[in-house]
Amino acid sequence: MYDFDYHRPGSLDEAAAMIAGKDDVKLLAGGMSLIPALKLRLARYSDLVDLGAIDALKGIRREGNTLVIGAMTPHAEVAASAEVARAIPALAALAGGIGDPLVRNRGTIGGSIANADPAADYPAGVLGLGATIVTSRREIAADDFFLGLFETALKPGEIITAVRFPVPQAAAYCKHPQPASRFALAGVFVAKMAGGVRVAVTGAGPSVLRFEQAEAALAKKFDPSALEGITLAPDDLNSDIHASAEYRASCVVVMARRAVQRASEARAR
Amino acid sequence: MATVSLTVNGQRVSAEVEGRTLLVQLLREHLRLTGTHVGCDTSQCGCCTVHLDGKGVKSCTVLAASCEGATVTTIEGLAPEGKLHPMQEAFREHHALQCGFCTPGMIMSAVDMVRRKGNDLDEHTVREQLEGNLCRCTGYHNIVKAIQAGAAAMKRKA
Amino acid sequence: MSHAARSTRIGEPVRRREDHRLITGAGRFSDDVTLPGQAYAVMLRSPHAHARIRAIDSRNALALPGVIAVLTGADLRSDGLKPIPYNPFTLHPADIRMSNSDGSPPFVAPCYSMAVDRARYVGEIVAVVIAQTTPIAKDAAEAVDVDYEVLPAVTRTVAAAQPDAPRLWDDASSNVCLDADVGAKDATAAAFARAAHVVKIETWIQRVTGVPMEPRAAVGEYDAATQRYTLHAGSGGAVRLKTDLAKILGVPAKNVRVLMDDVGGNFGTRGMIYPEFALVPWAARRAGRPVKWTCERHESFLSDFQGRDLAVTAELALDAQGTFLALRGSNIGNSGGHPGSFTPLQKGVEIMSSLYRMPAAHFRARSVVSNTAPTRPYRSSGRPEVMYVMERLIDLAASEFGFDRVELRRRNLLKQGELPYTNPFGMIYDSGDYHDAMEKALKLGDWAGFPARRTEARRRGRRRGIGIANYVDTATGAPRERAEITVHPDGRVDLVIGTISNGQGHETSFAQLVNEWLGVPIDNVRLITGDTDIVKVGGGTHSGRSMRMGSVVIWNSAREIIAKGTRIAARLLESDPSTLRFENGRFRVEGADRSASLFEVAAAAAQLGDLPEDLRGPLAAFSDETFNIASFPYGCHVCEVEIDPELGTLEIARYSAVDDVGRAVNPMIIHGQVHGGIAQGVGQALMEQCYYDPGTGQLLTASFMDYSMPRADNFPFFSTEITEVPCTTHPLGMRPAGEGGTTPALGVFINAVVDALADYGVRHVEMPATPERIWRAIRDARAAPPAGRAR
Repeated sequence: MYDFDYHRPGSLDEAAAMIAGKDDVKLLAGGMSLIPALKLRLARYSDLVDLGAIDALKGIRREGNTLVIGAMTPHAEVAASAEVARAIPALAALAGGIGDPLVRNRGTIGGSIANADPAADYPAGVLGLGATIVTSRREIAADDFFLGLFETALKPGEIITAVRFPVPQAAAYCKHPQPASRFALAGVFVAKMAGGVRVAVTGAGPSVLRFEQAEAALAKKFDPSALEGITLAPDDLNSDIHASAEYRASCVVVMARRAVQRASEARAR
Repeated sequence: MATVSLTVNGQRVSAEVEGRTLLVQLLREHLRLTGTHVGCDTSQCGCCTVHLDGKGVKSCTVLAASCEGATVTTIEGLAPEGKLHPMQEAFREHHALQCGFCTPGMIMSAVDMVRRKGNDLDEHTVREQLEGNLCRCTGYHNIVKAIQAGAAAMKRKA
Repeated sequence: MSHAARSTRIGEPVRRREDHRLITGAGRFSDDVTLPGQAYAVMLRSPHAHARIRAIDSRNALALPGVIAVLTGADLRSDGLKPIPYNPFTLHPADIRMSNSDGSPPFVAPCYSMAVDRARYVGEIVAVVIAQTTPIAKDAAEAVDVDYEVLPAVTRTVAAAQPDAPRLWDDASSNVCLDADVGAKDATAAAFARAAHVVKIETWIQRVTGVPMEPRAAVGEYDAATQRYTLHAGSGGAVRLKTDLAKILGVPAKNVRVLMDDVGGNFGTRGMIYPEFALVPWAARRAGRPVKWTCERHESFLSDFQGRDLAVTAELALDAQGTFLALRGSNIGNSGGHPGSFTPLQKGVEIMSSLYRMPAAHFRARSVVSNTAPTRPYRSSGRPEVMYVMERLIDLAASEFGFDRVELRRRNLLKQGELPYTNPFGMIYDSGDYHDAMEKALKLGDWAGFPARRTEARRRGRRRGIGIANYVDTATGAPRERAEITVHPDGRVDLVIGTISNGQGHETSFAQLVNEWLGVPIDNVRLITGDTDIVKVGGGTHSGRSMRMGSVVIWNSAREIIAKGTRIAARLLESDPSTLRFENGRFRVEGADRSASLFEVAAAAAQLGDLPEDLRGPLAAFSDETFNIASFPYGCHVCEVEIDPELGTLEIARYSAVDDVGRAVNPMIIHGQVHGGIAQGVGQALMEQCYYDPGTGQLLTASFMDYSMPRADNFPFFSTEITEVPCTTHPLGMRPAGEGGTTPALGVFINAVVDALADYGVRHVEMPATPERIWRAIRDARAAPPAGRAR
């Protein structure tokens, strides 16, 4: 690791002031991706601003038909939350499947989506549910947030404070993991919302993406059979030593079907 | 350099650390608590697992400076001096270790598993919840048995 | 649970004595060693698979505060360090001899601990940077300017053997270092000519790596006054490391001391000296202070010795009834960028025909160099590869010519009455009941009940398959071992031996032997293995040699202790030695109520001034033996898998193993060895691979993010059974137990996978059987014309 100055502000304002106007400063959330990258000297910053002491960024609450999760809420807390289980059980299950239990004790939702790893789980849930990302400056719709490989709409100096999830009628997440890292090789989040069906795919492309053909089919009939004959073109998908684009494309369809099945079963209960 | 003060295995300690100093370095190099091991550099193997404010974490992926005021328990402090924790007992009784390098992390992770999942652990749960700890010697067979037995023994002793 | 009441003799599942320190965090591994004033080394490694080093400019690095030195290949040469003393062939006389079939000598390149002219693989050391801290050394390593001329590289085994492949050494005529013929060519050709059936396989037993959980670490010291080097570093054996280190440093062996305590796994990877283990003590001399180096995991992936990597073409000839007639083919082993070991090639090909009656066999065996990390023996060196080939051939023959897989094995498996049996390569299988092991495994794995389980799985949309594999292991290894036992009057026994535990529990199992033969409580036995100032002779832990050889030298020493003790006790008890019997730790006068304990006798030996010369002083004995006979552990495994055909994912539903160990000293430890061995073998077959990009030679699996390590949820509980048919060539009837878990695992697993996919017409799946491979196999088989499927 290259050395840096470490800061631990107690409030959001303090944190915002620390990073304002500096481009060599990095925010530290749970650190589950950032610290390994620093250890391998893949990244270098003059200062790290740790958001861990800002209590206002933590917590889970229900506001009408919206579930609000503070940016610094760890995955384990989301996975174990009765509030999340009642409102969006699929999101609790997603959080409970990120990394491993020890990573889930530290890693946070804000850190995960700010990092925008193309194979991370949370981006699928955020995009699949059409969530709103609340920052220190504004609110950003999920559809406008994820721009590409490790790239988001966040501006320098902007801090994610919370994510607002609309409560769906039914939802589920299914992941086919890469065998080494256990990140998603193909992860699909399916949500039936009041206004239609959303299907978000992680792990398969350069960034989380929406599977529009599946969405259209499922809007007509929210049932696994609706995906019969639906395929995903492998052209823009990732190909690496773990899986070809062609295989990923096939897995996405299977995961989508299984997610719809799971969502339907959950709804029926 | 900054001073960080925390409680490790019940003792108040302070150390001068750099921003980049990791919790595991603080434990191993500053405090010479070498039972916590480093087995990888990508936060996967779990050899460095300790309890931070009561929860299992990978100490190779936590900055020491962020532990100001925190409470840390390592394998050396899991049981009172001269005693074994029921999970340690179970690992020995079930031959859940061979080379012993992953073992401290396994035991700390297993105790955290009991905190999260309770004392009555089925095989599937243990295997799934052990995702963050690698072992190359045992094929996990006896580790799973030991965790099941250790979890049950923790209930009896509680 | 109370252990006190239990017996701690041979055959008991004694809980391990070493565990207490390991479960409380009090173990002492290499990185736990810290010396006052130590500096830190970082290895600058080649980023290129193949490159000429034109120049190294260290000025910017040396200018950084805290940097002590930057050492390069030029420094190494000018300081007179010698090449690494590789012995590419096995040291054991029972292994077959191999030489080039054209009579030329094998090519053994001189390899130094650091690249001196060219780097030949990504990760080869180019410079050693020494600084006051590791982070400073890393900064300095980034500041070293190396002028590389990048050369074409070759990584793949078959490609490296081609005459036009990029050449690693200019003075060799090709990358093929060894090209040997083994077996009987003409007899084999004749048998093939009259065969009713011939089945063929072309396959690659891919490159994997050992991944002991403890990364390597070393601390070096140099004492200028005594001109003595000390190395603290975990390995498979202290004595061999010392000997090799002295050769590299160019000093007498007495000027080197090697120390180690706990070693966090080995699996063969720590069997031979590593370049860093020579560089660190040398750096300590150059720096004038101790130097410590700790390997990070990504460096382990680049620079730990790797394993397997064998390209095979093999054919099996059968008569119309299914009797095996002959076996032939070609094996090409890839020894990587430092051609240091032909052992896996040699130890594999010599038992290519396994436990089956095979009238004739002929193989061409080649070893090539390539721009990859060096390979060395890895758990059960060479044998899992060939057992996999043989067991795949049998299953292929069964499916292609309409034989029952089990019946075909029964027909050809050697019967107990046929032993000793000389296999077509000249290896002599001494003893065993191979049929019994197979029948037991079939029962343990409930082979008969499988069809019902397959049907049930099918109802859930899963494809279930079952596989079987017999195996034989050749245990040879460094043939010499020595033990020394000293009985102290205060009740302690010291046992000094030249092999070392890397997790196998010697402190317990060796103490059980001492308990059995000398009646000494196991907790009173101190095992000394990790200090070459005390341990003078010994081969280390590999090739199933620790208990196999250790038991004999301990037994010999114990018998001599008893013999000496009897004569001393006779004086003490004023009896004739012939009237004394030693039992439960006491010398008793037969028919009288007089006795003396072993420790009273030890005290007497030290005190009685009028004892004969050879009995005076400490009560001690040693045994130094050379073992020239190989041992052949064997067994049979059965594996059952369930496949999700939509994704190609797989679950191991059952795994049953029967392994014969001749005589079990500590069955708990043996079962543990089998469990771990299975996981390592199945890990290779299921998911592991060191993947080198064929174009650039970059290792794309250099972290746990990309190298698939088996985890707890990849396995079920295993059913393991030990059988004990005494080994006729071992004085105590023992066979090794550490490698049997791995040896058949590759073959049995792939046999199960292919069986699960048989209904689709899938003929074979290469390792690792990744989800995509299985998914493609199903898809391709479905797309194949019906004629193709009929095979």
